[in-house]
Amino acid sequence: MNLHIADYLIICTYFLFVIGVGFIIKKRIKTSNDFLTSGRNIPLWITSLAFISANLGAQEVLGMVASGAKYGIMTVHFYWVGAIFAMIFLGVFMMPFYYGSRARSVPEFLKLRFDEKTRGLNAVSFAVMTIFSSGISLYALAKLLEVILHWDFDVSIWVAASVVMIYTFLGGLTSAVYNEVLQFFLIVLGLSPLVIVALHDAGGWSNIKTLLQPEMTHAWKYMGNAGSNPMGINFMSLIFGLGFVMSFGYWCTDFLVVQRAMMAKNMNAAQRTPIIAAIPKMFMPLIVVLPGVIAIALLQPALASKGFSIPSDGKGGLDYTMTLPSLISHYYPTGLLGVGITALIASFMSGMAGNVTAFNSVFTFDIYQSYFIKNKSDRHYLIVGKIVTVAGILLSIITAYIAKGFNNINDFLQLVFSFVNGPLFATFLLGMFWKRTTGHGAFFGLLAGTIAAAATHGLTLAEGKGGWIYPLYEIHSGMGQAFIVASVSWIVNFCTTIIVSLFTKPKPEAELKGLVYSLTVKPSYHQDKWYLRVVPLSLILIAITIILNIIFF
Amino acid sequence: MYKKLNNLGFVIGVFFTIIALILIIGGLVSKALDHKLNFYTGFTFLVFGILMAFLNKNNL
Repeated sequence: MNLHIADYLIICTYFLFVIGVGFIIKKRIKTSNDFLTSGRNIPLWITSLAFISANLGAQEVLGMVASGAKYGIMTVHFYWVGAIFAMIFLGVFMMPFYYGSRARSVPEFLKLRFDEKTRGLNAVSFAVMTIFSSGISLYALAKLLEVILHWDFDVSIWVAASVVMIYTFLGGLTSAVYNEVLQFFLIVLGLSPLVIVALHDAGGWSNIKTLLQPEMTHAWKYMGNAGSNPMGINFMSLIFGLGFVMSFGYWCTDFLVVQRAMMAKNMNAAQRTPIIAAIPKMFMPLIVVLPGVIAIALLQPALASKGFSIPSDGKGGLDYTMTLPSLISHYYPTGLLGVGITALIASFMSGMAGNVTAFNSVFTFDIYQSYFIKNKSDRHYLIVGKIVTVAGILLSIITAYIAKGFNNINDFLQLVFSFVNGPLFATFLLGMFWKRTTGHGAFFGLLAGTIAAAATHGLTLAEGKGGWIYPLYEIHSGMGQAFIVASVSWIVNFCTTIIVSLFTKPKPEAELKGLVYSLTVKPSYHQDKWYLRVVPLSLILIAITIILNIIFF
Repeated sequence: MYKKLNNLGFVIGVFFTIIALILIIGGLVSKALDHKLNFYTGFTFLVFGILMAFLNKNNL
């Protein structure tokens, strides 16, 4: 793939704009809250698009196209079983606690609801995870540019990290969020022509259905038996493991995304942020799943004349990660190629900036201010926030180089993240809906859930991974294994938290007002028009999601 | 002008208008960019860019 001067011009224009946004926002940054939390002053359409854009990083764009190619249309379950219902749950039930408690972060909410040690555990694990995620995102970007454009690995790392550092240092969270919105439009509009052209070239959806195995084009029909679908799981594992544990765990408790809703101007906007975000999210499979399915159709003998190919992974299979770059390279002419490459760069930078801004909020408020230097002036914490931003970027660069040196570190870190994240939703669910849940219960439940996740992984084997304690049970796919690990860790956390809570002293009810469902005054929007109210919007979205599932059954 | 730059819709609109102009004008003057996909995308970006820049009243 070779770029023309016009392609470079488009990439440079993008860099200039994202840095320019940083300079524009800089003038509005006066306090640590402006820098780290945006001062709760961002319009709904921006918080909503930033909410899904924070998740539209490299793993989402490249990974979902790769999954579309590997598992077929079943990949839509990440959206139509997982994300949409979890986002609605967050908006309807959980945002009143997050926003109403005035907590500045998810760990701070845990401190208010439970205790200091639960906050500390969550803050430290989250800070480490965000830095590693940011570093891996940076490594993946540099590696991709090295493979497809033959750009120098070191130059890619330093240029991408410097651009992200400039605009996050200047404008903090606001700057990152505004650029996420720009990146959202660039990714969606930049990749849409690819879907249209490739779909047309493959003869449309009806032709794709005739060319591929039926299990590649049906979302539910082959889920009755784990052995009869490419994902290797049955519908029960999917609904509980992905639809409930993993999706709710991510969308409802990960500060990276929840932070975007917490920036809204008022409670109603905060609740509607994930619900409005669910509308474009519902149609994202058209941009990130469909291309993968189209790519596999284009590889079939009947379409061999199209000349499309995906590189080999060196083990006799396809390197699915290269599906999207291969499509861009095959279909985009000079000019649009620059747009496609810029969209890829934007997705990596969006993921990195999201992680860095979440890291600096949690580090400054939940680690530095809580455990090291308390009661200093606001200016002190603003300066610390800026220093932490630079430190976060530098740590990401170090992580990227570590990832380069150790091939398996990416898999290992993703695994550790799943151990920590898997059980988290049980802690929040019990904490918000059962006033008897105690701090000790939450803390030991989280620990037990994490240990259970590691043990389950050590006792199961899938695609050669896991089974490091003893390969007791074999699972068809790595994804199926991830669902089962998450499910076990959730159940262990849930049970442990209940048992420990029953034997320990709960907080007085007076301290739990605004933090537990039964002790909180629910916001009422009866006076608003239906399209401004949370519940009617949610019901419409649920109905559309069910219809989409039926159409692709 | 500075007030306009504080409107995110305006900034996004200007960005897509510039990209559209690179694709359209580039297609007219350079053989390397003379491809109908560049023109179709360029015009779509142009319409989107103008709508975002001038019809978006929701300031930052």
